[in-house]
Amino acid sequence: MITRLEVDGVPALHAPADGPMHAGLVFRVGTADETLPLRGITRLIEHLVTGAPGSTGPEHTYFHTRGTPTEIADFLSGVCTALRNPSADRIAEARERMTAPRDRDPLPMWRYGARSYGVASYPEWALPGLTTDQVGDWIARWFTRANAALWVAGDEVPGGLSLDLADGTRQPAPRAVTVLPATPAWFTGPDGTAGWDTVVHRDAGAAVFATVLERRLQHELRDRAGVAEDARTEYEPRADGTARILALAEAVPGGQDGALGGLIDVLAELRAGRIDEDEVGTVVKHTGVGLRDAESRGARLPGQAFNLLAGRAVQTLDEALAEVRAVTAGDVAAVATAAYDAGLLMAPGTGGADWAGYTAAPTMSETVLDGRTHRGRGDRNLRLISGADGISVVEGDVVGTVRYDACAAVLAWPDGARQLIGEDAVMARVEPTLYRDAEQVVHDVDQWIPERLRIGMPPRDRDRIPQPRPATEREEEPVDTRRPLITLLVAGMATLFVVAGGLGVLTMMLTQGPSGGVLGDVGEYGLVASASVLFGTFTGRIALDSAVELRRQQHARNPARSD
Amino acid sequence: MLPPMLLDPAAAYPKVAVLRAALDSGDWPACRETLDGAEPVERTCLTTVAAETEGITDFLRGVLSGDPSDGAAGALLGRHLAGSGDFTAAERVLVDAAARSPLDPAIWTVRLRTARGLRLGPSEARRRYDRLAEIDRHHVPGQSQYLRYLGGHDPDAAYDFARTAAAEATPGSLSPVLVAEYHIDRHIAAGHLDDATVHTELDEAADRSVHHPDYRHTHGWVRVTSTFAMAYALIGDDRAAAGLFGALGDHHSAQPWDLLGDPATVISRYRKRATGGEQ
Repeated sequence: MITRLEVDGVPALHAPADGPMHAGLVFRVGTADETLPLRGITRLIEHLVTGAPGSTGPEHTYFHTRGTPTEIADFLSGVCTALRNPSADRIAEARERMTAPRDRDPLPMWRYGARSYGVASYPEWALPGLTTDQVGDWIARWFTRANAALWVAGDEVPGGLSLDLADGTRQPAPRAVTVLPATPAWFTGPDGTAGWDTVVHRDAGAAVFATVLERRLQHELRDRAGVAEDARTEYEPRADGTARILALAEAVPGGQDGALGGLIDVLAELRAGRIDEDEVGTVVKHTGVGLRDAESRGARLPGQAFNLLAGRAVQTLDEALAEVRAVTAGDVAAVATAAYDAGLLMAPGTGGADWAGYTAAPTMSETVLDGRTHRGRGDRNLRLISGADGISVVEGDVVGTVRYDACAAVLAWPDGARQLIGEDAVMARVEPTLYRDAEQVVHDVDQWIPERLRIGMPPRDRDRIPQPRPATEREEEPVDTRRPLITLLVAGMATLFVVAGGLGVLTMMLTQGPSGGVLGDVGEYGLVASASVLFGTFTGRIALDSAVELRRQQHARNPARSD
Repeated sequence: MLPPMLLDPAAAYPKVAVLRAALDSGDWPACRETLDGAEPVERTCLTTVAAETEGITDFLRGVLSGDPSDGAAGALLGRHLAGSGDFTAAERVLVDAAARSPLDPAIWTVRLRTARGLRLGPSEARRRYDRLAEIDRHHVPGQSQYLRYLGGHDPDAAYDFARTAAAEATPGSLSPVLVAEYHIDRHIAAGHLDDATVHTELDEAADRSVHHPDYRHTHGWVRVTSTFAMAYALIGDDRAAAGLFGALGDHHSAQPWDLLGDPATVISRYRKRATGGEQ
């Protein structure tokens, strides 16, 4: 039985639980609230505040602990105190603790661009340069009493617990605006993993569908065809009443085409309504068992605390069970159709998925802006255009255009190179060495782009700075080796993911499986854990400078292009 | 004077003409009656009629929009579109057809053809073949498609597949023809038929198929017999070729003879050589 109460002005949920007492404090802030120049700030604050495992997801950041009532009170009070005093030293310490590279999930960027939910796909560019003021401002806006909720699972709320948070306002979740002109769509992802996600109405039917999909994928890809090591799905409810469903299949060596083909076939099967009542019945039963188990451990509380923050009703176990039990095969089939229509495939290899009826997600701009043209040094094929509206980089038929009024960030290197990233995630790279009089363009960009969108990058080694090649040399080279230039100039969307291996993403999903730990995920109602698993970050070397890797990615991104 | 040459499959299989007429007149119930009454291999072979019939796209799309779960319509439309070289359009139809009729061997057979046309990877072709083999382990039209796929990717795998499928086939059945198909393809690609091993393998395959007492004139027999005849003719075993030409009588299959040129001309020439002009 979940009870609602309030602790120091923070809305709270309490329920008895088997096993050790646990509790958590959640704030309605996540990676989807960040901008590219502030990418990573939320997780930095998470690390600033506590060394214990917290979590930053797209919409929520929480601090969770287990122990005696006193330990829990000390931990949560400590979180609040730490949020009051973000000193420069502690910011530096937190940054140190966050250096391990993390895999990023590429799908959100292809669906949402470089804004809101798409931001999670990008490296944590803010980390090196974050100031105490920026961190303080972020805390003041998001980590407040009005934007928090508490849950406590155990005998009672610890007597000594005090939550000394600053006042503020409740912050609604950002709007999710897609940049995909048509769905179902596909893009080329990393080798070895076939992936897919969709956005559907959030309800028990969608949660059941996600589990049915997982079972089908495991059967078809792993057990039957032997093309995948494993396959998993995640159900991630969102504050706006939608849910994201993600499916990933890790291919066996040489099996990625079969994994993609099998994924496509399973999705088509479900869309066609080939779902039987027995299968749905089994999933409903398991979900019910999971819900009861979660209730007994207090593992439904975090999800309900999220509901509180979203202004949604807290759901009792009986209500949750009734909703799940009411799900029919017909309901699941209806979800499957909607899910299919909104789907986005991450296709490994070079074949794409046009053949299966999916539309290629845009990889570059359609328009070239008006403005002053700077020709490539010794390369007629190359043009950089600087106008009042923005920058275009053109090589052959590859176009990268970023408008100043739709620019998400500019990466700025000390040597003058600038990389503009549009809100649609298309990038335009200004490399001064490659164009005639390009210093003018660097000046234009610096004039037009406000300081808040600028991300300072560390100096590059000399051999990382591209140099124009003499025409004679170019002509002698096989067509294949000319490619890196393009990727350096119009670094397309895929090039961001050089370091992000889909395999690692999947491995994390697999190792943190659905029933791991006290906060096991039980679909809609269970937990948070799943939602945060994929939204990792990357703090190591920024992966924009490896020509070889870029070429590999570019090939993968657009295999049909012959130039 | 040589006997007439019946290259049209309708000469050996009357249902071909029935299906053609039904497709031409847009009579879907008649199409279904013909297909539904056919044996599985016969039914899959009959779908190739759609590859050669023009102007039926709208008709079949209309049938499918009325009943998206009509697997026969999906298989015919997929085969028709693949026949015109539009593998993407074909595959889009077939993804849905396979989703709705996962146990239809004709659909998986066409999907092996599109896998080759679309250059999908070996693991996907293998997955498709496995789905077919789950339904029918010896579905010779699908085996032929998969063999051709493998031939383009990995000749060793093609060789293993042909020999294994032939060895596992029911004695007197059609599937051992895969060995002859493999050797003909290798001959066209690399000219390797002058080899004692090839001869032995052909004999073994023929003994399990066209030369087996249980060999019957089921749908596909003309092409199978003709393929063995061609393989024997190419390695210069005129006696064996002549025997098979005799068994064929007036019936002949344009494939795989068309690999060598105009089928009627080529067949005449090889038949004349094998039989000493007596047939």
